[in-house]
Parts: sequence; structure tokens; C-alpha cells
Amino acid sequence: MEHSSRKIWEQPWGYTEGFLFAIAIGLAGIILQLSTGQIEPVLFAFPVNSIIGALFLTGLLAVHLLAGKKSMVRWLSGVYATIPALVLLLVLSMILGLIPQQPQGTAKDLLPPNLFGRLGWYRMTTSWPFVLLCFYTLVILGLTTLRRTAQKQRWRDIGFYLNHLGLFIALLGGLLGSADMVRVTMSVQEGAVEWRSNNSSGETMELSLAIQLDSFLIEEYPPKLVIIEHETGKMLPASRPGSYMFDGVGKTTQLAGYRVEIIEYLPHAAVFRDSSFTNVVPMMMEGAAEAIRVKVSKPGLSQPKEGWVSNGSYLFPHSVLQIDDAISVAMPQQEVKRYSSHVTVYTEEGTTRQAVIEVNKPLSVEEWMIYQYSYDDAKGKYSDTSLFELVRDPWLKVVYTGIIMLLAGALFLFIAGPKKRRS
Amino acid sequence: MTWDAFFYFAIGAILLWGAGAALALKHYAKRLPAILTLAGLVVFFFFIATLWSSLERPPLRTMGETRLWYSFFLPVAGLLTYLRWNYRWILSFTTILSAVFIFVNILKPDIHNKVLMPALQSPWFAPHVIIYMFSYAILGAATLIAIYYLVRENRISDKSRMMLMTDNLVYAGTACITLGMLMGAIWAKEAWGHYWSWDPKETWAAATWIGYLLYIHYRMKRSSSHRTSMLLLLIAFILLQICWYGVNYLPSAKQSIHTYST
Repeated sequence: MEHSSRKIWEQPWGYTEGFLFAIAIGLAGIILQLSTGQIEPVLFAFPVNSIIGALFLTGLLAVHLLAGKKSMVRWLSGVYATIPALVLLLVLSMILGLIPQQPQGTAKDLLPPNLFGRLGWYRMTTSWPFVLLCFYTLVILGLTTLRRTAQKQRWRDIGFYLNHLGLFIALLGGLLGSADMVRVTMSVQEGAVEWRSNNSSGETMELSLAIQLDSFLIEEYPPKLVIIEHETGKMLPASRPGSYMFDGVGKTTQLAGYRVEIIEYLPHAAVFRDSSFTNVVPMMMEGAAEAIRVKVSKPGLSQPKEGWVSNGSYLFPHSVLQIDDAISVAMPQQEVKRYSSHVTVYTEEGTTRQAVIEVNKPLSVEEWMIYQYSYDDAKGKYSDTSLFELVRDPWLKVVYTGIIMLLAGALFLFIAGPKKRRS
Repeated sequence: MTWDAFFYFAIGAILLWGAGAALALKHYAKRLPAILTLAGLVVFFFFIATLWSSLERPPLRTMGETRLWYSFFLPVAGLLTYLRWNYRWILSFTTILSAVFIFVNILKPDIHNKVLMPALQSPWFAPHVIIYMFSYAILGAATLIAIYYLVRENRISDKSRMMLMTDNLVYAGTACITLGMLMGAIWAKEAWGHYWSWDPKETWAAATWIGYLLYIHYRMKRSSSHRTSMLLLLIAFILLQICWYGVNYLPSAKQSIHTYST
């Protein structure tokens, strides 16, 4: 290429030195990984991460101010260093995207004892090579941004700063802040107040706020009917299983070649069943199941079959309508449309707050975000327990500053396009 | 309108796009090819809109539904490129690629129903997916140009003009995947508690993003080779395909919370 007459390590440096540098960083990471093992994020919790951040920023500034004109620093703040760093980061990201990752809580001895495990590939994001390469990329990104400040400023530079500084802030904030992030779950019974939570290792943690679950509601989609192979439970037709969502009594649908007519619908029913006989009666109480009475016919079938189909509940068994030896009509579990918790949140300062928490609508109280996480699966729509996740991330504002700059930078890039070159 | 009507709308749209592309190839004035392509887009979008209203949710949940939008946005990207850069063959390319994705949807239809899981019920859902599909289409057009370049390198008269066009497409496409990715991050904070969890889909989105950043930065150097640039675009587009649907077939997929097809 353009430096073909130049020996390696002879100035000015190019891509070759860039790759050697990036590989050296990766190797240093591997050595650290093999000798000290996985990075333990808790060791970097506040104030350690803040100190590292301050030292890192001071160091970058010092290098820029004291050695900014040196050829190596100029090289380090340019494309020749950037591309190899990104290539290596890409390679590690691809490994991260290929190998199933082990959650942070898993004990060390549960990791597969192979080479991948020792290299930290089952927990890539807390492995030394990955983190060191991220910091190396941050060094390049930081120095590149600082170097641009020394040049004559043009309007196009707005886009440059938004993108590069934005990414720098978001990445650094995310990397350092991950050590301070707390995620716990809290299970609350209807009518009860709870302040104890569990972290991913199962340890109990008392919080400075308490949640009272006033009520918990689940809304489901209407029940569906499917045709199944009686033996295996497989939905038919096998190539593209069909289903019919209940849409009122009297309707008719075609399912896997059968004509299914909806005769009767009971939203609250009791289902009694033995080997030969199923009885369904209306029952307005907790634990009632939904049931549909259908009439199934098909050309070639001697006479239509009629009977009840139900997906049951924690109280009642599910019930299928057998059409012949092989085929049945069944009602799968209904899909959940929405679930929400009406809560009252108390804080140590004595403030009280009432709110509705549901998926995609978390509640923010003091430094915590409270998320609707799950409920009691076994009781389904009659669950009286709500499971919340509580997240505290003191660095979120830093990361969001970076993200907002990047969003603006992307808009700038879209409108301004590539730099016009003089040909 | 249900999915059953897709076949007729799709064939209608393909015929209109094909006619526009053929006329563009035959040196017709820009207006007629543009009008035909636009007419095809109207037909196709009419189907998307009616499907949307019949499903009572944005048709963006299943893979088939994202392919639907991709097939729509490809001719959009082709038309914009044709009008701005005047390359006559781009409409044929985007029509063919769009037809491929349409035929996948016809031959292997997904199951489309009204169910929208609570995690997807968010104002971020439609913009996040639509902007991604739009950027995939623009970057798809850039990839078609890269293939054209790599195959016919010696017969291209004005290479730097073609590189400039590719740069423009990649900048627009990368800007849009950045927007899509960051909207996804903000949404993830609201829905899952964290803006970035290294879910396999997120990891491959980051890999795709790095891929296009490599192209953009490599092109900064005047000495950069056109061939290498175009090869980088191919690699980045492969990463993009893994992110979009390839990820479902990887060993890491079982951990993903980004699966909504069934």
C-alpha cells in the first residue's frame, strides 16, 4: 500500500502497526485473564470506578496537551489506529454473539472447563481482553476528539463532536457505571407490604422503600381453538399450524380441513371430566375456566361431533374434544395481553405514592426504577402475587447524555452526508 | 384484509416495479419509471395499511412482517438512488431483491394474529423496527452496488462517482441504524430495565454497526482501495443479515429475549 517502501515501526505508522498494537492489547488481556481470571465488577464499584474515570480523563488530557504533536499520538488519534481496534472489537463481539453467555451470578466451577472458558468467552463482557480493547478504543476515540479541538473549527465539526464525544461519554459511562448498577427482584402478595428483595445470587437485601400491592390484574386475549394430533399434541396442519381466535358465538371457521362452529361460550365455567364424560357448568368464582362448545364436521365424517373444549385453570383440568382416534380440538393457554400492578410505594423519608406499574411503564421512585417483571405462573390470571424488578443505575444520566448526543449526531450524519471531496 | 390477499397485491406491485425498472433500463425519461415505481409502492403500502388495521397492531412482530416492510423499503431506496444518481440499473436490482423477499413470504408465510405481547406494547415499537427496516433497505441497495462494482470493476468508467454514491447510501443507512439502535436502547431501559444487555440481537446489532463504521473510517483515507471498501460493505451486510434473522439459528439464540415469532 502507500507505505510499501517503509519498514515496520518506521514513522509514519500505518495499519500494520495498528494491528500489532491492537493484537498486543488483546494478548495482554489474555495474559491477565489467564493469571487473574474474570473481572469482578463489584471490585470496581464506587468510588473505584470514579477514580479510574478521573485518572483516565486526566491521562488523556495530559497526553494530548504534553505530547499531542508527537507522531505516535497523532497516529493514535487517526484512522490507522482506529480500524484495527474496531476489527478486533468486531471479532470479540462476534464470538460474544456466537457463544451462549453465562449469567453473571453463576459460580466459577459451573463454567465449562475448556479453553473458551479460560479465555473468558462464556462471559465476554467481563473478560480482560474485551474490556481492555474497549478502553483502547476509548483512548483512540478520546485522543481523536481532543486532536480535532486543536484544528480550525468548521460547521461540519458539530457532527464530528456529537458522534465521537457522544460515543465516548456513553461508552465510558456504561463501562464504569456497570459496576454500580443494582438489579433486584421483589415478590409482593396482594394486600401485603414488602421491602425485602433478592439479588441474582439469591441474597436478601432490605431496601429504603416499600411496595404495597393494592391489586394485580391480568387481561388475556380471547381463547383460541386448534386442531391437534391426539397422541403427540402437535398442532395441525404440521407445515403451518392454524388457530382460530374466539370472536363470538355462532361464527364458523375452517381449521386444518375441519369446519368448526362455535355453539356456546362460557367465560367462567367449572369443568368436570372423567375418562368418558365431560360436564361444563357456569361458575362465577375464582379459579373458573373458559370453555367453548363447538360442533366439528368434515366431508367424510359420518356425523358432526359436538362438545366442550377448555384450557382449564389451576382448579380445573383442560379438556379437548376428540373427533376421531387421531384428531382432537383443543384450546391452548391464552396469551397475556396486559398485566398491571396497582401499588402504593412508601419511602424512608415518609413520602407515599400511588401508581400503576406495567410492562413498558416502570415507576421511578428516588434512585430506583420499579418494573413489572412477572407474576405467579401457576395461578395464571388468578395470580395474587406480582413480581417486580428494581433497578438502580447512578450512571444512567451520563450514558443518556452520550446517547442523546449520538442521536443528534446520527441525524446530522443523515442530513449532511459524507464530506464533499475535491477530486 | 388478511394475509391471504398478499399474493395479489405483491404480484401487482412487482409488475409495476418491474415495468418501471425495465423502462429505466431502456433510457426512458425518469418520470415514467418513477411514476410506475411509486404506483407499485402505493399498492404495496395499501396492503400493509389494511393488514395493520385488521391485526389491530403494527405488523412488525414476526419475521414475515419485517420482510414485508423490507420489500417495501427496497424500491423506496432504489427510487431515491435512481432519481438522485441516475444509475439506470439500480431499480432492476432493488426490484429483484424485493421480489426475493416477497416470494419468501408467499412460499413460507408466517402466522399472523392479533397477539402483541406486553413487552412490544410501546410507542417505541413502530419507529424502532421501521427505521431499522428502512436502513436495511438502504444498506441493501449499497450492497447491490458493491456487488455490481466487484463484478464489473474494469468496465466502470467513473469509479469515484460510484464510490461517492455508495458513501452517501452508507452514511444515510448508518445514520438510520444508529437511530434504530439507540431508540432500541432507550426502549430497552423502559421495558427490560437496562439500555444494553448484550442480548444476541443487540450484540449482532453492535457488530453490524462496527462493520459500517469500518467502511466509513476506511474511506476517510484518500489512499483507500475501492475494492477493499466494497468488500467491507459485503462483510457488513452479512453481519446485518445475521442480526436480522441469522441470529435465530445460532447457539446463542435460546437466550434471546428478542424472539416474537410464535
